[in-house]
This record gives sequence, C-alpha cells and structure tokens, in this order.
Amino acid sequence: MTITETQMLDLVGHRFPGGHYRIEHWENWLLTDCTGAEQLPDGLVHPIALFHVPILGSRTSISELFELCGADGPGSVGLESYDWEYLRPLLEGIDYHVEGGISEVDRRTTDDGQVYDAVAFTIELLEGDTVVARVTNRWRFRRAQA
Amino acid sequence: MNVEVGDDLPPWTMPSVDPARMKTMAAILRDPYSVHWDREANARLGLPGRVINQGPLNLGYIVNMLHAWAGAGSVRRLTVSFGRPVLDGECVTAGGRVDSIDEGEGERRAHCRIWLELDGEVVVSGTAVVAVSSASSSATIHS
Repeated sequence: MTITETQMLDLVGHRFPGGHYRIEHWENWLLTDCTGAEQLPDGLVHPIALFHVPILGSRTSISELFELCGADGPGSVGLESYDWEYLRPLLEGIDYHVEGGISEVDRRTTDDGQVYDAVAFTIELLEGDTVVARVTNRWRFRRAQA
Repeated sequence: MNVEVGDDLPPWTMPSVDPARMKTMAAILRDPYSVHWDREANARLGLPGRVINQGPLNLGYIVNMLHAWAGAGSVRRLTVSFGRPVLDGECVTAGGRVDSIDEGEGERRAHCRIWLELDGEVVVSGTAVVAVSSASSSATIHS
C-alpha cells in the first residue's frame, strides 16, 4: 500500500490555493460540442463545466489531486459520485472566484477485499460575495495490496 | 409546459461515443489520465484497442436530455453515482422520470430520477432538480 490511512485522513481540511476562472466562449463551444449537443443560447455555459472549472479555478489540477492522494497509476482512479448545485446558471465571460478543498476521506474495503480511499472535495464558485455553484465530487483511489 | 409526477422524460441517445471528442475533452480538462486517449496503455489494463469516456461527458448526455425536455439553463442540481465505464463506440441513452414537483426560489421545480443506460445496464444514476416554469405560470401538478 503506497499511502497509509492516516496519511489520507490528514488530507481532510486541505485547502486549495483558490483563484478565479473565466469561461471563454471558445472553451464553452468545444465543451458543449464534446457532449454532442447543439450550442446553448445567450452565453449559457454547459452545466458539465462544473467538473473542470472548480478544479482549475481553485488552482489545483487533476494531476495534483492524483499526486496528493497517492494514485497508483492508470486504472487506479475511478469516479464515485458528483453532487453539483447551480444556484445561478453559469455564463461565459464572468470572472468567478473559486475556493474549496478536501472535505472527506474514507478508506473502504469491498466484498472481494479490494481496498480503496473515497476522497471528496468540495468547491464553490462565487460571483462577488454570492455563491453561484457548489460541487462535491467523490473519487475512488484503489490501493494495491502489499 | 405541462409536467406531471410520473412523466417519463424523452430519452436522449448518443449513438456512438466518439474517441476524438474524448481527446478534446482531455485537453479542456487538462486531464493527463491516459485511459481517455491512449489505446496502447489501456491494453495493459485489459482494454485492448479501447478508450474510456470521461465521467463528465456521460453526465453531459443526461444534461442534454434535461435541456431537450425543459430548456437550457433549467438544471438546478445534479446528484449522480457512476457504475461501469463507457467505452468508445458504445451507444448510450439518457432517460429520466419525474418523482415530485414543488416550488422554490420563485419557480416550479421537478425532482427527477435520471440515468444513463448502456445495453440495458444503468451506468450512471441519480437525481436532478430542474426548473420547469416560473411559480406564477400554470404547470400541472399531481402528487
């Protein structure tokens, strides 16, 4: 096992640096196209932007999260769940303030003995002082047996 | 828009998950995880010749189904869990059903079960809260 349960539990409360993110039209266009949908009207951002915008806007990255949580390589990380709240629709060209961190870690063992850590991170997008979106994502980090 | 508890949402199908779109998505996400674009690396994981679709894209098909039903900008909350991965070339269909309707923040909101199916197997499932009209309009409510 490359990372201990104690090391993982110590990650709870870890805060990302925080920052700002502006979703540009080209980025939203490509994102929407990737889903196979027609482009949205009125500068509306496709709701799945709530995956990467919180991560990148809070000044972390998928790579950093993998490293922080001791990912064991390709195939060792999986998605568990998302909880995404849209208090206002997201729009292109708005400078969102983004902040958050790791909110929960739980080491679990499956029925067939596979050990994994369920890691949740919670991040908010704000426009001024107003929270406009909130995400909690849970990823599974599977651990190799010793 | 008439919405009733028990309504089935019109399904939305992605006939063939496109590996080229996974590459674009990986770039947008700054996702270095090679399972989405490197077939040779995936061969070592037991997926020879295949790449794995990104979870947000799987959820995106569900969002597209909700938009087609209730309009862009209507999604208020998505809570989902993920089952088995979706691979390039597979056909998936998003669906949903209205479980309840209430009012909040000056609008009528449908609380829906949502899912993504692949060959009859649910690979993403959860719930969505969707604005179906302003509270002053006349959505039909049966509880």
